[in-house]
Amino acid sequence: MASRSKLSGMQKQVLGLYRNFLRAARKKPPEECSRIKSIISAEFHENARNVDRKNFLYIEYLIRRGKKQLEQLNNPGIVGLSTFKFTSSSSAAAINISLDDQNSKPESPKLHVDEPDNKPAVNATIG
Amino acid sequence: MATTRLLLRRGSAAGRVLPWRLVPAQLHSSQAEPPPAKPKRTKTFSIYRWNPDNPSKPYLHNYDIDLSDCGPMVLDALIKIKNEIDPSLTFRRSCREGICGSCAMNIDGDNGLACLTKIQSSGSASTITPLPHMFVVKDLVVDMTNFYNQYKSVEPWLKRKDPPPQPGKEILQSKKDRAKLDGMYECILCACCSTSCPSYWWNPETYLGPAALLHAHRWIQDSRDQYTKERLDAVNDEFKLYRCHTIKNCTHACPKGLNPAQQIESIKKLQLQ
Repeated sequence: MASRSKLSGMQKQVLGLYRNFLRAARKKPPEECSRIKSIISAEFHENARNVDRKNFLYIEYLIRRGKKQLEQLNNPGIVGLSTFKFTSSSSAAAINISLDDQNSKPESPKLHVDEPDNKPAVNATIG
Repeated sequence: MATTRLLLRRGSAAGRVLPWRLVPAQLHSSQAEPPPAKPKRTKTFSIYRWNPDNPSKPYLHNYDIDLSDCGPMVLDALIKIKNEIDPSLTFRRSCREGICGSCAMNIDGDNGLACLTKIQSSGSASTITPLPHMFVVKDLVVDMTNFYNQYKSVEPWLKRKDPPPQPGKEILQSKKDRAKLDGMYECILCACCSTSCPSYWWNPETYLGPAALLHAHRWIQDSRDQYTKERLDAVNDEFKLYRCHTIKNCTHACPKGLNPAQQIESIKKLQLQ
């Protein structure tokens, strides 16, 4: 495949990040593992399709954000990733970010992430 | 006679004829005169904008502010812009009195705290950009994780080899020894100095930067700390310490008036021993 021959440094970084995310997902319990993998691959594919190849500033920003999220995911206390979709019309009502108390039960803390309908933002951001 | 005089005075002030009786002098003026209109002084602020949600090239957006209706500091202008003109302007701020270090940014080319920098009342536009050579998260907010990690790497806590002389009580320190810490403990970790250092721009991951080195020196100088030699050895690195070439931008930038360059010089001198 011609596209695989000469990958730029930034492309290698993105691929490395993707691989590390998948490795982190494998370490989690099996049912979570598949869910995490589907979320990650959806986000990466979405960005690969929508983000302009030359928009280096944004790609670097996404890589940095991804690295921070990877650190969080690698934390043994985190057991899962979940998303919820909200439509932009009801965004004010639907932004319901709930973070389980990590001190209560060690097996239940989850990273809740919200996903607007056309833009997967993995961090729970109040827009 | 006194009443007539009173009437006359009131008549001239109010501009209307009062009934002929004793009118007590009023303490508060009931006349609703509008306060004298303050002359409008407009100043333009060129503020760096970049939105990660709609990523395009970063740009400088101009905002016009009436200075007569705004506080004296740059932070007041930013808050006024956010309240009245553009709520999407994003910046960090907390104490508004120069003690937290959140609002550090580059104002007209110089790093400083927005809450302590007075607005230049001259007519030319003021340029506000985030701290130089730092990754931007949004508008004026920068990514400080590298800076904080460097501070953590210095191990900024008291380390002792043997237990304190009086267990359960404070470790005593003479006034002279405490005076050695003056000029270093006041650092608020605003990052103005590190981000003004060209050496830090070119080697941000390896060079510790003036702020971290200032704190390293603060712990080296602390008489209660017993790991002085280990601390000096940890910093004694080609990149961690010796990227400093006494450019002295750090001392110029510090909003608290500290002198990181002097502390770094002091560390270098201690290394010779």
